[in-house]
Amino acid sequence: MKPECFKNRLYYGIFLPVIAVSGFVIDSPYYLQVLTFIGINTLLTIGLNMLMGYAGQISLGHAAFYGIGAYTTTILTVHFDFSPWAALPCTLVVTGMVAFLVGLPMLKLTGYYLGMGTLGFGMIVYVLFREWSHVTGGSSGMVGIPSLSLGPVSFSDSRNYFYLVWMIVLVCIVFCQRLIQSRVGRALRSISDSENAAKALGVDTKDLKLKIFILSALFAAMAGFLYAHLVTFISPGSFDFMVSIRMVTMVVIGGMASIWGALLGASVLTLLPECLHAFADFEMVVYGLILMLIMIFMPRGLTRGLMDIYERSVSKQI
Amino acid sequence: MSAPCLNRFEKPPLLRADSISKAFGGVQALLNVSFEVSEGTILGIIGPNGAGKTTLFNVITSAYPPDSGQLFLDRKKIQNRKVHELVRLGIARTFQNVELFENMTALENVMVGQYTQTRCGIFAAAARLPWAVAEEKQAREEAMALLSFVGIAQYAENRSGNLPFGWQRLLEIARALAAKPRLLLLDEPAAGLNAVETRRLGNLIERIRHQGVTILLVEHDMNLTMTICDRIIVLNYGKILAHGTPEEIQSNPAVMAAYLGTSEVSPLIYD
Ligand SMILES: Nc1ncnc2c1ncn2[C@@H]1O[C@H](COP(=O)(O)OP(=O)(O)OP(=O)(O)O)[C@@H](O)[C@H]1O
Ligand SMILES: [Mg+2]
Repeated sequence: MKPECFKNRLYYGIFLPVIAVSGFVIDSPYYLQVLTFIGINTLLTIGLNMLMGYAGQISLGHAAFYGIGAYTTTILTVHFDFSPWAALPCTLVVTGMVAFLVGLPMLKLTGYYLGMGTLGFGMIVYVLFREWSHVTGGSSGMVGIPSLSLGPVSFSDSRNYFYLVWMIVLVCIVFCQRLIQSRVGRALRSISDSENAAKALGVDTKDLKLKIFILSALFAAMAGFLYAHLVTFISPGSFDFMVSIRMVTMVVIGGMASIWGALLGASVLTLLPECLHAFADFEMVVYGLILMLIMIFMPRGLTRGLMDIYERSVSKQI
Repeated sequence: MSAPCLNRFEKPPLLRADSISKAFGGVQALLNVSFEVSEGTILGIIGPNGAGKTTLFNVITSAYPPDSGQLFLDRKKIQNRKVHELVRLGIARTFQNVELFENMTALENVMVGQYTQTRCGIFAAAARLPWAVAEEKQAREEAMALLSFVGIAQYAENRSGNLPFGWQRLLEIARALAAKPRLLLLDEPAAGLNAVETRRLGNLIERIRHQGVTILLVEHDMNLTMTICDRIIVLNYGKILAHGTPEEIQSNPAVMAAYLGTSEVSPLIYD
């Protein structure tokens, strides 16, 4: 327990100053925005990681919840003149309800079937965004989403938005870490190792999986909210199948069942396309390759894989 | 006249199975199996491979519904409940093929076992409410005590999948005990253990019984079964072949025939 605790402190000790200092020293709005996107992607990854990494339930349609979050706040603020802060709780409630209704039948599936089911759900939602044009603006999307502001602080300033997003990321990291180390977190992790044994110990696995599915959908909705009010226009393309796959790749790269790994995965996959513009047309190929290689050589992700190798060498001594 | 009078003072059986049957396709895994276990005793269940022992455990714990028959825990009907509900009623089990949470530490495994004994939820955990923190601390201490009880406290922080097999079996027992069961089902706990480990296991099972836990023991190791069980039932092709004390079972001709069959060496001791 002790070294774990120390490692965690160390990560916070690196994470907090890096965020605080980056906000100060970086002046270019472009770089600040890239960092803000990393924050938004981290939210997505942390949420999906709770489901995939800890509970062991795959979702290939999580971009749907990201999109529902973004579209709900957009529709409320643009069509109905809600203030963004009033739209936020509505957005979370709507997404939570959709997740409940979808998760209830879907989580009866396991393995590949669950993957297929969630994939189908993601596609249906994407088509809705594209075709339901009088509500969602169709394939051209919606513009004029208001920026966020809080009293005198305007978040249209990229530095402020950067801090806002990372504050939320920090809160979510703390939330998830506490959850994972609790009774609920242990029950969650037990499901991915042996659902049978978990049930035989009194864990209502069906109920718990559903709760975590909803929780991860809420994280995605929060990310969608922040995305919509950052870029101020949205279109269906930002929530398509590719985005779901990218989310899964982030979780896998970061190492399933590792919250700091989620941060790493999100950073790598947000920065990669920025660095490798040449790959633009081959994005799918690059992700596919990354996924394949990691799944073959380190099925539990990069960080987990490395940790396993370390642990194995240590516990040989027993 | 005297029998009903006696019954009034006798405790009712903790578990009563009433003509349980279960078939898988053409295989009749259990047929009209009836028995009782009184509180605080050890009931051994023996029988050749494929006799239906594990299936009986799976039916008792609701992993499968029985095709027919009834189960009572303390006179309360328990069939057709959800698996996780039975734990709250006081039934815990171990698995024939050890099913630990391999990626979690030994201590965490036991703490999952405490799931029904604790109540911290998502928001209490995230907010670190004082009662949740206190509960966690107490759970941790109790889990450590259980690990000491089975004798593997020094490996509390090891990944359970890395433990040697014998200790994995002990850990599974500790994990089941964490649910504070009244009835503990052990499915071949000695399989894969050496002689020394098996003796220690026998001692552990006796200590568990001394704490008032009733035990159902499926075991191929006849030495162990005959020494620690109060009563034994013999299953063969899903049917109860014999029922009695260890001495009665050992001298029962039908059992001998079923077990000895054609082979020379007593398969009572094989596997
Ligand atoms: N889930 C299942 N599906 C189909 N058949 C099953 C299933 N479970 C058990 N059986 C069959 O039921 C019969 C009894 O199996 P069971 O596992 O209960 O035997 P057992 O007494 O525990 O044997 P062993 O000593 O080998 O553990 C076997 O013929 C087995 O093949
Ligand atoms: Mg068996």
